[in-house]
Amino acid sequence: MSSSTPIMEHLKGALEYILTPSTPVITIGLLIVFFVPILVHFFISRQTPYTSLPFILLAGPAGGGKTSLLTLLERGDTAAETHTSQTPHGVELTVSSDAGASTFREAAREDAPGSHKKFFLVDTPGHGKLRGTAMAHISGDGKANQSQFGDSAMLRGIMYVLDAATLDDSLADAATYLYHVLLALQKRTGSGSTSRSPNAVHVLIAANKLDLFTALPALLVRSQLEAELGRIRQSRSKGLLDSGVGTDEIGSEEQDNWLGEYGSEKFTFGQMREFDIEVDVISGSVLEGNVDKWWDWISDRI
Amino acid sequence: MLDTFEILTTSGVVLWSRTYAPISPAIVNHFIADIFIEEKAASTGAKDNQPTANNPPYKYDQHTLKWTFVKELGVIFVAVYRSLLHLSWIDKLVDNLKTIFVDLYGDQLKKPNTTLVHCHKFDEYFDQQYQELESRGTTKGAQAADTPFHFEEGAVSGNLGDDPPLPPGLKQRTKPHSTAKDVSPPSELASIAITNTSRPSTPGGGSHLLVGKSGPMTRMSRKARKMQHNHSAPASSGDEAPSRKGKKAPKKGRRWDADGFADEKDDVQLDYSAAQNTMTSDSEAEATGRSTAVEGVDSTSWGTTTSKGQFVLRDLGDEVHSILKSAEEKNAASGATPRGGLVGSGLSTIGGLFRNVVGGKTLTKDDLDKAMKGMEEHLLQKNVAREAAIRLCEGVEKELLGVKTGSFESINARIAKAMEASLTKMLTPTSSSDLLREIDAVTRPSATSMRKRRPYVISIVGVNGVGKSTNLSKICFFLLQNKYKVLIAAGDTFRSGAVEQLKVHVRNLKELTEREGGNVEIFEKGYGGDAATVAKDAVREAANEGYDVVLIDTAGRRHNDQRLMSSLEKFAKFAQPDKILMVGEALVGTDSVAQARNFNSSFGPGRHLDGFIISKCDTVGDMVGTLVSIVHATNVPVLFVGVGQHYSDIRNFSVKWAVEKLLSNS
Repeated sequence: MSSSTPIMEHLKGALEYILTPSTPVITIGLLIVFFVPILVHFFISRQTPYTSLPFILLAGPAGGGKTSLLTLLERGDTAAETHTSQTPHGVELTVSSDAGASTFREAAREDAPGSHKKFFLVDTPGHGKLRGTAMAHISGDGKANQSQFGDSAMLRGIMYVLDAATLDDSLADAATYLYHVLLALQKRTGSGSTSRSPNAVHVLIAANKLDLFTALPALLVRSQLEAELGRIRQSRSKGLLDSGVGTDEIGSEEQDNWLGEYGSEKFTFGQMREFDIEVDVISGSVLEGNVDKWWDWISDRI
Repeated sequence: MLDTFEILTTSGVVLWSRTYAPISPAIVNHFIADIFIEEKAASTGAKDNQPTANNPPYKYDQHTLKWTFVKELGVIFVAVYRSLLHLSWIDKLVDNLKTIFVDLYGDQLKKPNTTLVHCHKFDEYFDQQYQELESRGTTKGAQAADTPFHFEEGAVSGNLGDDPPLPPGLKQRTKPHSTAKDVSPPSELASIAITNTSRPSTPGGGSHLLVGKSGPMTRMSRKARKMQHNHSAPASSGDEAPSRKGKKAPKKGRRWDADGFADEKDDVQLDYSAAQNTMTSDSEAEATGRSTAVEGVDSTSWGTTTSKGQFVLRDLGDEVHSILKSAEEKNAASGATPRGGLVGSGLSTIGGLFRNVVGGKTLTKDDLDKAMKGMEEHLLQKNVAREAAIRLCEGVEKELLGVKTGSFESINARIAKAMEASLTKMLTPTSSSDLLREIDAVTRPSATSMRKRRPYVISIVGVNGVGKSTNLSKICFFLLQNKYKVLIAAGDTFRSGAVEQLKVHVRNLKELTEREGGNVEIFEKGYGGDAATVAKDAVREAANEGYDVVLIDTAGRRHNDQRLMSSLEKFAKFAQPDKILMVGEALVGTDSVAQARNFNSSFGPGRHLDGFIISKCDTVGDMVGTLVSIVHATNVPVLFVGVGQHYSDIRNFSVKWAVEKLLSNS
């Protein structure tokens, strides 16, 4: 007991000092009040680097050559060997705003001439189970940190890479995925919390593997995809409702889920222009390095 | 021997690879899809940092894949070899290379937003490990039985193809090539030609015959192996080994690049036995003095041409050993990390609490364990079978270990997010299916496809009383609305009243769709007949009469009754259904796993279920765990859910809806 009394006295004195209004106590209090939030802010903002670079999304069915294209554009000379991707992967690339480095080969060099603009090229897995990541990037309905490469407002374009050599067999799958991508884009244009519509997102259908002799030319790829998308649209409209759709929403859903011009007989990519979506089909080959036209398209978007 | 060794990232880029015999990329792609994406393996998917021996080898198309995975860096190490071979040292090779690679290039791998990893120098490390482990493997007595077989195999394919896998005696000659792909096709051809012409100089006859060549080679390598056994005394290696080398030397003027092709561009004279005999033995003696590994001396003296090269390899060996050793020590140390003092632990607790609120906390096993228990409990309450719940939780826990939480994100929120992703991945089908389009493709084939028009056959199976007939008539109603001509086959020839029940459905459906021109008939053969025959007749009749779709009802059967289930195989063979759908109740609990498994495996080899219909979803509210249980058990997607009593109460399955229900707290 006797040992604890001096400590108690001491504490009491300190408490009294703090509670008595005096200039140093008030200043220290004010300093704490002002600086702690600022420090907390810096602590958090340091941990989540804010990336606001524009980005181009690589989508498409598995085996199309997305990752291959990504490595080709990054390395500039040859594409790396690739296998099925499981995770999305972004790469920072530069395009020159003036005509300094006209091809990706020059842009990939570190001492490329001209002034540069940086952007992300985001590769997404094309396996059926993992397409959610690409869709999250497009629609942006998830939280901001769900897509690690900036929010979907910075999305400038989508490269839909597909294998033109085996399109006959994989047409249904490729078209279904494209249907979902286009529908997500269309909804994105239509819905917006503000009156300002989000920036236009253009779609490039990159018909890859032109080096193989079974590869279809761009025009044929276009017409086949349009026909298949039309069929999908038709059967979707006749199909069953999704579970979880309430009875009261049935009427309104109809028009939203129709890709392109509502009620039109045939689907063409031109109908997407109504929603500020330009669709181009350009063929090329990653293996031969024949991707200059795609690079030009990217340069135009950034 | 080893066909290919690859190091690839989860984003799909091959960082480094060494190919001895070209394999189809489809092998590795299938491996990734099955093990990592669809998690088909019995022990669930990708375990982090587990030694290769614990990962079940993956077999595909006569090849076996041994693999290990570093989750933190997202790197997969795969070794591919022929399933015929039994290579006991592969596990060790993969593990050691993983340790070395992570140690050397871990920093590069952590860099964001790039796929470039400069690892050209890894060739040398690989060669060192490969030689060391292989020679160790061959000196083992257990290997003696199957090694001669390897030589034979090597010799055979060497004769047939232009990419001979090397017999070990030659393989040790492998020199590191820093650039893997510099061999252009013409030079390949040229080198093959040279290889063939240089063969007659092989000692021991020099004939082109298979026997003539493989014979001496095997003998020679056996001797070499025996030498490795005998050379415990370093002094003897000085005079014996080089002389034997000298005999074989003209044959060995080949180099093998990473693609497994012979490359003779720099045709170095390898016969050093005469000129450099003294020098080699000198350096060997010196090397033996420096090294403790006796057998290592032998292999290096085989593998290098100059004494200078020898030292390079030796240094590399030391470095590799030190890397492996330090990794081992680190492993041991991490097992017994001493906790900080009272003050230290107190501070870390406060820091942990703070970070728990603010976020940015690195999740440890302790943090996760408690929260995961809660999540498991939650899933069980949602009627998910325990087996599936445990698998999901384990997957999420593995995924989250060592992950930092985001700003102002609690552990529970992070787990919920990861669980949502995990559930979505599990429930999303690999290939989306649109029933109407598939029917159209079969019933109205395009003129170019050369297929004959035939009716689309759907059969429905399930346990008693789950609603097979009801769901069949719901699907029928949906098809009738889309103007298809439907024939319903009464395959339940067992339960009294079953045929009459279907007749009532057909009458109702006719009335309902009369105005829209619905066209539906019933095909029945009364009771007591063989269901498979009835189905077969129904399909034939439908083809003759021009029906679009045949819906076959079957008798309900208990999934663990072997007698009843065995008739399904015959049924699948006779009726040849395009789609076999199983109806499962949302009400059933843990038994759903066994039901789905048994039905899925009852159609004979090569035939599985094509989809599930989950009935009575309206009666369970949020407890839709059955969905997860059956998909977990079979990897077969859910196609439809039944949500009410009316013909129109059938819905496409929406993954988002199910995940929302499963994770909702009410």
